[in-house]
Amino acid sequence: MNRFWKWVAGVFGVLLVAAFAVLSFMAGSPKDAYGMVRYALPHMHRGKLKVGSDAPDARIVALDGVSRFHIRERTHGRPLVLVFGSFT
Amino acid sequence: MGDVVQIYEDYKDHVDFLTVYVREAHPTDEWQMKSNVKDDVCYAQPKTLEQRVAIANDFTRRFKFPLPFGIDDMGNAANDAYAAWPERIYIIDESGHIAYRGGMGPFNYKPEEAREWLAARYGAVKHEASASPPSGAPTSTAAPAAAPAAK
Repeated sequence: MNRFWKWVAGVFGVLLVAAFAVLSFMAGSPKDAYGMVRYALPHMHRGKLKVGSDAPDARIVALDGVSRFHIRERTHGRPLVLVFGSFT
Repeated sequence: MGDVVQIYEDYKDHVDFLTVYVREAHPTDEWQMKSNVKDDVCYAQPKTLEQRVAIANDFTRRFKFPLPFGIDDMGNAANDAYAAWPERIYIIDESGHIAYRGGMGPFNYKPEEAREWLAARYGAVKHEASASPPSGAPTSTAAPAAAPAAK
Protein backbone atom coordinates (compact mmCIF):
# COMPACT_ATOMS: atom_id res chain seq x y z
CA MET A 1 0.00 0.00 0.00
CA ASN A 2 2.81 2.28 0.87
CA ARG A 3 4.34 1.66 -2.52
CA PHE A 4 1.06 2.46 -4.22
CA TRP A 5 0.88 5.89 -2.61
CA LYS A 6 4.46 6.61 -3.54
CA TRP A 7 3.55 5.94 -7.16
CA VAL A 8 0.51 8.16 -6.93
CA ALA A 9 2.58 10.95 -5.42
CA GLY A 10 5.27 10.46 -8.07
CA VAL A 11 2.81 10.56 -10.96
CA PHE A 12 1.07 13.59 -9.47
CA GLY A 13 4.41 15.35 -9.11
CA VAL A 14 5.41 14.62 -12.69
CA LEU A 15 2.03 15.85 -13.96
CA LEU A 16 2.38 19.02 -11.91
CA VAL A 17 5.83 19.75 -13.29
CA ALA A 18 4.64 18.99 -16.83
CA ALA A 19 1.64 21.27 -16.43
CA PHE A 20 3.84 24.11 -15.17
CA ALA A 21 6.26 23.56 -18.04
CA VAL A 22 3.44 23.78 -20.58
CA LEU A 23 2.04 26.88 -18.89
CA SER A 24 5.50 28.47 -18.87
CA PHE A 25 5.81 27.82 -22.57
CA MET A 26 2.38 29.31 -23.23
CA ALA A 27 2.92 32.32 -20.96
CA GLY A 28 6.46 32.97 -22.17
CA SER A 29 8.45 32.19 -19.03
CA PRO A 30 8.14 30.44 -15.66
CA LYS A 31 7.78 33.86 -14.02
CA ASP A 32 4.83 34.69 -16.26
CA ALA A 33 3.32 31.28 -15.62
CA TYR A 34 3.51 31.99 -11.90
CA GLY A 35 2.01 35.44 -12.47
CA MET A 36 -0.83 33.93 -14.43
CA VAL A 37 -1.65 31.45 -11.69
CA ARG A 38 -1.14 33.94 -8.86
CA TYR A 39 -2.85 37.02 -10.34
CA ALA A 40 -4.96 36.17 -13.39
CA LEU A 41 -6.47 32.81 -12.52
CA PRO A 42 -8.44 34.08 -9.51
CA HIS A 43 -10.14 36.62 -11.78
CA MET A 44 -11.13 34.33 -14.58
CA HIS A 45 -14.57 33.40 -13.33
CA ARG A 46 -15.45 36.56 -11.50
CA GLY A 47 -18.43 38.65 -12.38
CA LYS A 48 -22.05 37.70 -12.74
CA LEU A 49 -23.12 40.40 -15.15
CA LYS A 50 -24.80 39.25 -18.32
CA VAL A 51 -26.35 40.97 -21.26
CA GLY A 52 -29.68 42.27 -19.96
CA SER A 53 -28.46 42.69 -16.36
CA ASP A 54 -28.93 46.02 -14.64
CA ALA A 55 -25.66 47.89 -15.01
CA PRO A 56 -24.20 48.44 -11.56
CA ASP A 57 -23.33 51.96 -10.53
CA ALA A 58 -20.08 52.93 -8.88
CA ARG A 59 -18.51 56.16 -7.72
CA ILE A 60 -15.57 57.20 -9.83
CA VAL A 61 -12.81 59.66 -9.06
CA ALA A 62 -12.10 62.31 -11.66
CA LEU A 63 -8.62 62.89 -13.00
CA ASP A 64 -8.19 65.89 -10.68
CA GLY A 65 -8.23 63.40 -7.81
CA VAL A 66 -10.88 65.42 -5.98
CA SER A 67 -14.13 65.44 -7.94
CA ARG A 68 -16.34 62.37 -7.90
CA PHE A 69 -19.07 61.21 -10.23
CA HIS A 70 -21.15 58.11 -10.78
CA ILE A 71 -21.03 55.91 -13.83
CA ARG A 72 -24.78 56.41 -14.25
CA GLU A 73 -24.25 60.14 -14.56
CA ARG A 74 -22.36 59.53 -17.76
CA THR A 75 -25.33 58.06 -19.62
CA HIS A 76 -26.94 61.06 -21.21
CA GLY A 77 -29.90 59.22 -22.66
CA ARG A 78 -27.52 57.37 -24.94
CA PRO A 79 -25.63 54.09 -24.69
CA LEU A 80 -22.40 54.22 -22.71
CA VAL A 81 -19.26 52.41 -23.79
CA LEU A 82 -17.41 51.56 -20.60
CA VAL A 83 -13.74 50.72 -21.00
CA PHE A 84 -11.77 49.38 -18.06
CA GLY A 85 -8.02 49.14 -18.02
CA SER A 86 -4.76 50.20 -16.41
CA PHE A 87 -1.43 51.58 -17.62
CA THR A 88 0.65 48.46 -17.38
CA MET B 1 -6.47 50.58 -26.77
CA GLY B 2 -5.68 52.13 -30.07
CA ASP B 3 -8.73 50.32 -31.32
CA VAL B 4 -10.81 51.89 -28.60
CA VAL B 5 -9.63 55.37 -29.53
CA GLN B 6 -10.63 54.75 -33.12
CA ILE B 7 -14.03 53.46 -32.01
CA TYR B 8 -14.42 56.59 -29.90
CA GLU B 9 -13.62 58.81 -32.86
CA ASP B 10 -16.06 56.90 -35.03
CA TYR B 11 -19.04 56.77 -32.66
CA LYS B 12 -18.69 59.60 -30.13
CA ASP B 13 -21.56 61.46 -31.79
CA HIS B 14 -23.88 58.54 -31.12
CA VAL B 15 -22.86 57.14 -27.74
CA ASP B 16 -21.07 58.24 -24.59
CA PHE B 17 -17.73 56.83 -23.55
CA LEU B 18 -16.04 56.44 -20.20
CA THR B 19 -12.67 54.90 -19.47
CA VAL B 20 -12.14 53.75 -15.92
CA TYR B 21 -8.64 53.20 -14.63
CA VAL B 22 -8.54 50.19 -12.33
CA ARG B 23 -5.75 48.58 -10.33
CA GLU B 24 -2.59 47.91 -12.24
CA ALA B 25 -2.26 44.63 -14.05
CA HIS B 26 1.52 44.40 -14.18
CA PRO B 27 3.05 46.57 -11.49
CA THR B 28 6.71 46.29 -10.58
CA ASP B 29 5.88 44.74 -7.21
CA GLU B 30 3.60 42.06 -8.60
CA TRP B 31 3.58 40.60 -12.05
CA GLN B 32 5.78 42.87 -14.10
CA MET B 33 6.27 41.99 -17.74
CA LYS B 34 9.36 42.49 -19.85
CA SER B 35 7.28 44.63 -22.17
CA ASN B 36 6.63 47.07 -19.30
CA VAL B 37 10.36 47.68 -19.00
CA LYS B 38 10.77 47.94 -22.74
CA ASP B 39 7.92 50.45 -22.97
CA ASP B 40 9.06 52.30 -19.87
CA VAL B 41 5.79 51.69 -18.11
CA CYS B 42 7.00 50.74 -14.67
CA TYR B 43 4.81 51.50 -11.69
CA ALA B 44 4.32 49.83 -8.35
CA GLN B 45 0.78 48.93 -7.42
CA PRO B 46 -0.71 52.16 -6.03
CA LYS B 47 -1.34 52.03 -2.29
CA THR B 48 -3.08 55.39 -2.11
CA LEU B 49 -5.61 57.22 -4.25
CA GLU B 50 -3.03 59.93 -4.87
CA GLN B 51 -0.70 57.38 -6.43
CA ARG B 52 -3.50 55.97 -8.55
CA VAL B 53 -4.47 59.47 -9.73
CA ALA B 54 -0.84 60.23 -10.59
CA ILE B 55 -0.48 57.13 -12.76
CA ALA B 56 -3.79 57.79 -14.48
CA ASN B 57 -2.67 61.32 -15.28
CA ASP B 58 0.67 60.05 -16.57
CA PHE B 59 -1.23 57.79 -18.88
CA THR B 60 -3.63 60.35 -20.29
CA ARG B 61 -0.82 62.89 -20.81
CA ARG B 62 1.60 60.47 -22.37
CA PHE B 63 -0.88 59.15 -24.89
CA LYS B 64 -3.04 62.26 -25.20
CA PHE B 65 -5.88 59.87 -24.46
CA PRO B 66 -9.06 61.50 -25.76
CA LEU B 67 -11.77 59.46 -24.06
CA PRO B 68 -13.54 60.75 -20.95
CA PHE B 69 -11.62 59.32 -18.04
CA GLY B 70 -12.20 58.33 -14.43
CA ILE B 71 -10.43 56.38 -11.72
CA ASP B 72 -11.75 53.55 -9.62
CA ASP B 73 -11.45 54.40 -5.93
CA MET B 74 -9.19 52.45 -3.59
CA GLY B 75 -12.10 50.25 -2.57
CA ASN B 76 -12.13 48.98 -6.17
CA ALA B 77 -15.92 49.32 -6.30
CA ALA B 78 -16.15 49.58 -10.08
CA ASN B 79 -13.63 46.81 -10.60
CA ASP B 80 -15.57 44.49 -8.30
CA ALA B 81 -18.96 45.37 -9.76
CA TYR B 82 -17.83 44.80 -13.33
CA ALA B 83 -15.11 42.17 -12.86
CA ALA B 84 -13.04 44.65 -14.81
CA TRP B 85 -9.40 43.67 -14.13
CA PRO B 86 -7.21 43.67 -16.11
CA GLU B 87 -9.25 45.10 -18.97
CA ARG B 88 -12.77 44.70 -20.19
CA ILE B 89 -15.38 46.54 -22.25
CA TYR B 90 -19.09 46.90 -21.59
CA ILE B 91 -21.84 48.74 -23.39
CA ILE B 92 -24.72 49.98 -21.25
CA ASP B 93 -27.89 50.80 -23.16
CA GLU B 94 -30.17 53.80 -22.65
CA SER B 95 -32.30 51.86 -20.17
CA GLY B 96 -29.31 51.11 -17.92
CA HIS B 97 -28.91 47.48 -18.86
CA ILE B 98 -25.83 45.66 -20.06
CA ALA B 99 -26.07 45.50 -23.85
CA TYR B 100 -22.60 44.11 -24.46
CA ARG B 101 -20.24 42.38 -22.08
CA GLY B 102 -16.73 41.89 -23.30
CA GLY B 103 -14.42 39.15 -22.15
CA MET B 104 -11.58 39.38 -19.68
CA GLY B 105 -8.39 40.74 -21.17
CA PRO B 106 -5.98 40.28 -22.59
CA PHE B 107 -7.05 37.14 -24.43
CA ASN B 108 -10.73 37.92 -24.62
CA TYR B 109 -10.47 41.68 -24.78
CA LYS B 110 -11.98 42.34 -28.19
CA PRO B 111 -12.82 45.96 -29.01
CA GLU B 112 -13.92 44.79 -32.43
CA GLU B 113 -16.93 43.13 -30.80
CA ALA B 114 -17.97 46.45 -29.28
CA ARG B 115 -17.47 48.02 -32.70
CA GLU B 116 -19.75 45.39 -34.21
CA TRP B 117 -22.48 46.25 -31.69
CA LEU B 118 -22.14 49.93 -32.53
CA ALA B 119 -22.00 49.26 -36.25
CA ALA B 120 -25.17 47.17 -36.08
CA ARG B 121 -26.94 50.08 -34.46
CA TYR B 122 -25.42 53.15 -36.04
CA GLY B 123 -23.84 51.83 -39.19
CA ALA B 124 -20.34 50.73 -39.96
CA VAL B 125 -17.56 53.27 -40.33
CA LYS B 126 -15.15 52.42 -43.10
CA HIS B 127 -11.50 53.33 -42.97
CA GLU B 128 -8.93 53.47 -45.72
CA ALA B 129 -6.78 50.36 -45.75
CA SER B 130 -3.67 52.47 -45.30
CA ALA B 131 -5.09 54.35 -42.42
CA SER B 132 -3.69 53.14 -39.19
CA PRO B 133 -5.63 53.54 -35.99
CA PRO B 134 -4.31 56.03 -33.52
CA SER B 135 -1.59 54.51 -31.47
CA GLY B 136 -0.53 55.26 -28.01
CA ALA B 137 -3.69 54.21 -26.38
CA PRO B 138 -3.42 52.26 -23.27
CA THR B 139 -2.84 48.69 -24.02
CA SER B 140 -2.51 46.21 -21.44
CA THR B 141 0.74 44.43 -21.67
CA ALA B 142 -1.06 41.91 -19.68
CA ALA B 143 0.58 38.72 -19.89
CA PRO B 144 1.15 36.38 -22.53
CA ALA B 145 -0.56 38.43 -25.07
CA ALA B 146 -1.08 41.65 -24.88
CA ALA B 147 -5.23 48.00 -20.86
CA PRO B 148 -5.72 53.65 -19.51
CA ALA B 149 -4.93 48.88 -20.87
CA ALA B 150 -4.61 47.57 -18.94
CA LYS B 151 -3.00 45.55 -19.54
